[in-house]
Amino acid sequence: MISRLRNNPLIKIAWVHLVSKKRQTIVAMLGVMFGVTVFIFQAGLLTGLQNYFIEKTVNTTAHIHIYNEVRAERPHVLDNVREYDATWKVVRNQKPRDEERRLRNGYQILRALERDPRVEGVAPYLGLQGIVRFGTAQQAATMAGVDIVREDQLFRVRENLIDGDMLRMQTIPNGIILGAGLADKLGVQVDDNIAIISSKGVVLDMKIVAVSKTGITAQDNTRAYISIRNAQRLLQQSGAYITDINVRLRDVNAAQAIASEYQARYQYRAEDWVAANANIFGVFRIQNITITFVIASILVVSGFGIFNILMTIIYEKMPDIAILKAMGYRNKDISTIFVIESLVIGITGGLLGLLLGFIASMIMSTIPLNIQGFVSVQYLTINFNPVFYLVAFGFALLSTAIAGYFPARKASRFDPVEIIRSR
Amino acid sequence: MTQEQPIIVAKHVSKIFTDPVEFRVLDDINLTVDRGEFVVLVGPSGSGKTTLMYALSTLDTEYEGTITVDGTDIKALNPNQLAQFRNTTIGFVFQFHYLLPDFTVLDNVSLPAIKAGLWSPEEIEERAMKNLTLLGVADQARKRSSRLSGGQQQRVAIARALMNNPKILFGDEPTGNLDTKNTALVLDILQDLKTEFHQTILMVTHDMQFTERADRVVAIRDGRIIQHEQQ
Repeated sequence: MISRLRNNPLIKIAWVHLVSKKRQTIVAMLGVMFGVTVFIFQAGLLTGLQNYFIEKTVNTTAHIHIYNEVRAERPHVLDNVREYDATWKVVRNQKPRDEERRLRNGYQILRALERDPRVEGVAPYLGLQGIVRFGTAQQAATMAGVDIVREDQLFRVRENLIDGDMLRMQTIPNGIILGAGLADKLGVQVDDNIAIISSKGVVLDMKIVAVSKTGITAQDNTRAYISIRNAQRLLQQSGAYITDINVRLRDVNAAQAIASEYQARYQYRAEDWVAANANIFGVFRIQNITITFVIASILVVSGFGIFNILMTIIYEKMPDIAILKAMGYRNKDISTIFVIESLVIGITGGLLGLLLGFIASMIMSTIPLNIQGFVSVQYLTINFNPVFYLVAFGFALLSTAIAGYFPARKASRFDPVEIIRSR
Repeated sequence: MTQEQPIIVAKHVSKIFTDPVEFRVLDDINLTVDRGEFVVLVGPSGSGKTTLMYALSTLDTEYEGTITVDGTDIKALNPNQLAQFRNTTIGFVFQFHYLLPDFTVLDNVSLPAIKAGLWSPEEIEERAMKNLTLLGVADQARKRSSRLSGGQQQRVAIARALMNNPKILFGDEPTGNLDTKNTALVLDILQDLKTEFHQTILMVTHDMQFTERADRVVAIRDGRIIQHEQQ
């Protein structure tokens, strides 16, 4: 007993204070615990979902996408002749020029890219809008004319198949892979025959060889893979006609630099995956800012809880403070007592919060939810990044330290004479 | 410092309260207390005797003039030095015992010695037990201080005040809350301390029994010393 006291009587005093205010101490700890739990759970849930989405997007978006950017607007034809005052320009309804969307020398570029050591895979692409028809049912669809093996190398097509066999695309000349939503709406399954119609009026009879489900609802409802040759036939184009080249890099983070290099070299628009998904990342940023505010306010509230209990203790224990000062304890010793109290609340509440946050995340990640929305997922993917746990604990300590500092300072500044004489 | 020099020397000590109205609570006090002397401050309430005691005992440093305790000018010390000086030089007994209620008697008595940090835990316990024995409450050592009677608590408070062998023991109405029997007991103890251990004692009191036992009674009225009564 004595040895513990000798080692640090301040710790014992702090402990006695907390124990004598059991209920309030526990409530304050619960406040901190709740803040930390919410932090971990929310951060894990949100970034888990975001990571899931990014992963899906990265897997379905090329690291670099090269295409011919057709500008609808072009300078007025008269401006090329000389500069006119605006009132003199009278030629209206200038139509866009019939620019070809094709990549000239597309396959040469493709082969050149393949030789680049930074590139893992390259896939040609020819996209068009069309209609898929099955008997009387018909659906608009985005036809992706692809080389299925290369496409698989870039976008893991095979992993997303829920039925059928991807490689039949190569053995059957008129094979088609439908998105799961699209197949559902048409009421078709593998080996059914369907017709596809292009805007040029070309009709092709196709055989469904596989059904794919990426989890990104918009894609699964509209996407159909066909061979490049069939895409060219739908557009009545020759064998070298492609509109896009997708590139997969060995290092996904180098995309931005390499994209601008390609854009300069080939004089076509080369867009990296971050730029292509800028809108999504914008949404994520807003989400993250919102959640940060929510969590911060919870921790502030739990800080008030600690502040409250310490102020109560301090006013109740004024005689103790007075006598400690009279027997030679310093101001710093007094404030140490209350800092210890706030840290005990903060650390205990924080650790409990870490544990509870982890448990809540674990439970949440095992409950099947089958969400069908922006993305469709069966289980919530929760991010168990240890950084969240560190940051949450750090925030808990910070808010308790701040909440404890002011009462501690107040206690240390009490004048013992005033307390003793007022009794 | 030789033993012959007075332990407390107060020179031209004045203190003015400004709240609620300006009021000169101490007015040019000059006082010396010798080592081993038992001095009692008396006076009506509001006379300034308690204020003077707090100034002499270093708890209050807001005054004009100089107070020297054991050769040290109190005003020259910073708050930390002052705390240390109090810890090693001064013991307090107040009207209320001010024991920490959730601590045992032994822990309470040990607190000043732990702060001083001069002794090992075993030595501290030994000293504490010795002081508790001196005050006749050794059998209560392991009890929580809140479970003791008022008289016992006040004796424990005196044991705590003596823990670091203070050069001066200050008292602010130390028997104010006690019944006749306990008052007599505390008085005997203080007298023993003075005669056997040559403890310097300075007490503020209303209790006329103190004036009979003290070496000197200093009467204060309206912030001035009106009478030194050597016994």
